[in-house]
Amino acid sequence: MSLSQETLEAHLNDPAVLCCRRPAGTVLSAADFEDPTIFPDLVDSNLMTLKEGGLTIQQALGATLINDGEALTQLTPDLLDGVKETPAAPADEPDESDGADDGGPDACACCAAEAPAAPVAPAPAAGGYVHLHLDKAEGLDLVFPAGAAVPTAPAGSAAPVAASPEPEPEETPADRVLRTLVKKDYPVTKVVIGSETSYADGVLTVDGALVEEAKKANPLVKDVEMTVINPADRHVYSNTIMDVIPVAAKAEGKLGEGVTNVLSGAVFVLTGMDEAGVQVHEFGSCEGYMDEKIRYGRPGCPDQNDIMIRVDVKIEKGTGMERRGPFAAHSACDVIVHACREAIKNLDGVTPIKEETFKDVRRAGRPRVVLVKEIMGQGAMHDNLLVPTEPCGVKGGQKNVDLGNVPVVLSPNEVLDGGIHALACIGPATKEITRHFFREPLVEALQTDEELDLTGVVFIGSPQVNDEKTFVSERLGALVEAMEVDGAIVTTEGFGNNHIDFSENIAAIGSRGVPVVGVTFAAYQGQLVVGNKYMDAMIELNKDPEGFENEILADNTTTPDDAARAILMLKTKMAGIPIEPPEHKWDEAVIEANKKLVK
Amino acid sequence: MPTAFKLTTAKGLKSEIYVPWTPKPVWTPLTKPLSRCKVAFITSGGIHKKDQTPFNTAGDWSYREIPSDTPSDQLMVTHGGFDNSDINKDVNAMLPIDRLRELVKEGFIGSLVPTFYGFMGGGGNVDKFEHVTGPEIAKKLKAEGADIVLATGGCGTCHRSCTLVLRCCEAAGMSTCIIAALPPIARQQGAPRITAPLVPIGSNAGEPNNPQMQMGILKDTLNAMEEFDHFGQMKALPYEYRHNV
Repeated sequence: MSLSQETLEAHLNDPAVLCCRRPAGTVLSAADFEDPTIFPDLVDSNLMTLKEGGLTIQQALGATLINDGEALTQLTPDLLDGVKETPAAPADEPDESDGADDGGPDACACCAAEAPAAPVAPAPAAGGYVHLHLDKAEGLDLVFPAGAAVPTAPAGSAAPVAASPEPEPEETPADRVLRTLVKKDYPVTKVVIGSETSYADGVLTVDGALVEEAKKANPLVKDVEMTVINPADRHVYSNTIMDVIPVAAKAEGKLGEGVTNVLSGAVFVLTGMDEAGVQVHEFGSCEGYMDEKIRYGRPGCPDQNDIMIRVDVKIEKGTGMERRGPFAAHSACDVIVHACREAIKNLDGVTPIKEETFKDVRRAGRPRVVLVKEIMGQGAMHDNLLVPTEPCGVKGGQKNVDLGNVPVVLSPNEVLDGGIHALACIGPATKEITRHFFREPLVEALQTDEELDLTGVVFIGSPQVNDEKTFVSERLGALVEAMEVDGAIVTTEGFGNNHIDFSENIAAIGSRGVPVVGVTFAAYQGQLVVGNKYMDAMIELNKDPEGFENEILADNTTTPDDAARAILMLKTKMAGIPIEPPEHKWDEAVIEANKKLVK
Repeated sequence: MPTAFKLTTAKGLKSEIYVPWTPKPVWTPLTKPLSRCKVAFITSGGIHKKDQTPFNTAGDWSYREIPSDTPSDQLMVTHGGFDNSDINKDVNAMLPIDRLRELVKEGFIGSLVPTFYGFMGGGGNVDKFEHVTGPEIAKKLKAEGADIVLATGGCGTCHRSCTLVLRCCEAAGMSTCIIAALPPIARQQGAPRITAPLVPIGSNAGEPNNPQMQMGILKDTLNAMEEFDHFGQMKALPYEYRHNV
């Protein structure tokens, strides 16, 4: 495929390869060269080989073909007349030549620049900001507008600010706390199924008769079974795990503020199949032994020592892949969970083992950022309930499919207070389930990051129909524009066609000049098939050694480590420091190297 | 941005996921069974009827209407971007017109549109193919009732021109798939669906005078179209043919 004049300029030092068959005597111009950006793909598909000793496009330009040349022939000096005398083509491993420079007696330009401890002279960066980097300050960057009008900086130039031994970028304006949420954790050391529902002295008793109530929750529910699974007895077979739901109840205030009582040490696990024995799942299922099929400790999963209260629901034959089937199962389970909530609403006089305080805080003077979380909204079993009345509950929640998958803003506290009840049954390893949102690592980390001003968390569905995908992405763009943010992180659960939304959502933000970082599972199985130039700062969520959706619950979902890398990458991008382009293929070493850069 | 603030940053961070840069997705789901689909075929490999004006090999965005009942011996190639000898032996290597008629006869597909389209995509003018030729061909195929549009590219630039026209067809409400000899180009240019047999440029639809391979490539491509559920997917096909020019 030939090059245009503009693309030619960008690739003068790349290998020269004929795009199409060209007859002897052709004087080579832009239209005769293959586009170097697809060389890795061409080489991978055995359509082309790149040898040492080839010419660069610059060298071959204007030279004449001696013989007829076939498409995808790499040009070498013996094939051409009139080759320009310019430096030799870089081999396809440019790192090798770089390596030779390292440690050599002659300091190269980059080494020279690193030698002095003094700050590098500030240079105006794109967007009209001066960006200073101080090596001694261990990665501290100061960013402020270029030009004269810097009201808070000392007169003259910005340099004195940077030169002060303890760089303090002026007095930080006071934080504005919008609302406070306290999660009080109460321990559960034992769960028993009894004749009433109560919580006392670390013992959660669940009324066995609730199972009968749960069966009446929805006509599609055909059977419900409840089992207590203690940490030592996890080698039990289970139907596919649809959700993990913490027991959390509002003691004071509404969702996102006041006090939430949380049981610590026991969680509900919803599993299900239909009457015909079909697992309620879509892309992959995690039925099997519970000690093998759950990545314990992930934000969405039971923790290592959690007691699991398994609620297994059988739904009407054939409804597993319709919205109503999984919703019925969740409704049934919620009958039982809700009874437990009622039992912990008032725990006056009981001392929690832990109290965590979460603040929705606006930090004036810090870069404004938004977290965008893409959730599934494609009907079938892909839906989510937004802002239920009780933490992680079902009642009162609005279905994002019914809302048309448009972006909806939640405050960080609302998210962490169980503002999302997840109905999504996409691949088990990549789905974000209800407990995940209750302790979402990116929300937690962004909310407490004093360098950033987190404006809110936007939930946007991934619709089924292509034009709806475009509609919701465009609405996201308009929303983000109105929020006037300085940076954004976009995440998605799952992989496959929702990566189309993911790329459009990132483009909707990036095309408005807002630095954006994308977070998803891709690795081997989920390689992106679509993309755009705004997707240049990406975080990989894969944890599977082979890069697969491995059907282990929540294995490939966001962890605090992933969140830390994403935030560092966003700050780095906002500061105008380049993020290096990715390897052509998923490479765990890249992720490990990035991890080391997180302090 | 605020006036002054500090940010913890790092030098040397690397993006962790490879992202191909593609044009905006365009997608029409295939909703009918193959046996009820009306199928069209287009090629940017320079095929036209012998009695039609040949293409200008230096670059040409015009197209030729090829009635789908045209006997294959009345077709020829005018293309400078690749070796023509395979097509000269058997035009089905680029435009598998005989195989398509056989597919209708055996009931694998419902029917063919009355008109196929040939153009010469080599060195193709991107703007013309995207905004003139593509929309025109798409409009005509839609009017002829096509559900599926299959295509072959020829050379590299042909794959680009072909993909541009297919994207217009997809946008006009037809499900499309390119049988690509150079799948990376089709993907980079935003082909909605791609199948990839291991074939050289010039016999993109399979080895000349090998009806079995040509048929296999077509059937596997059509079957793959039923599997693909979103934009940009590709399937490698288990056919290999090498042509030593």
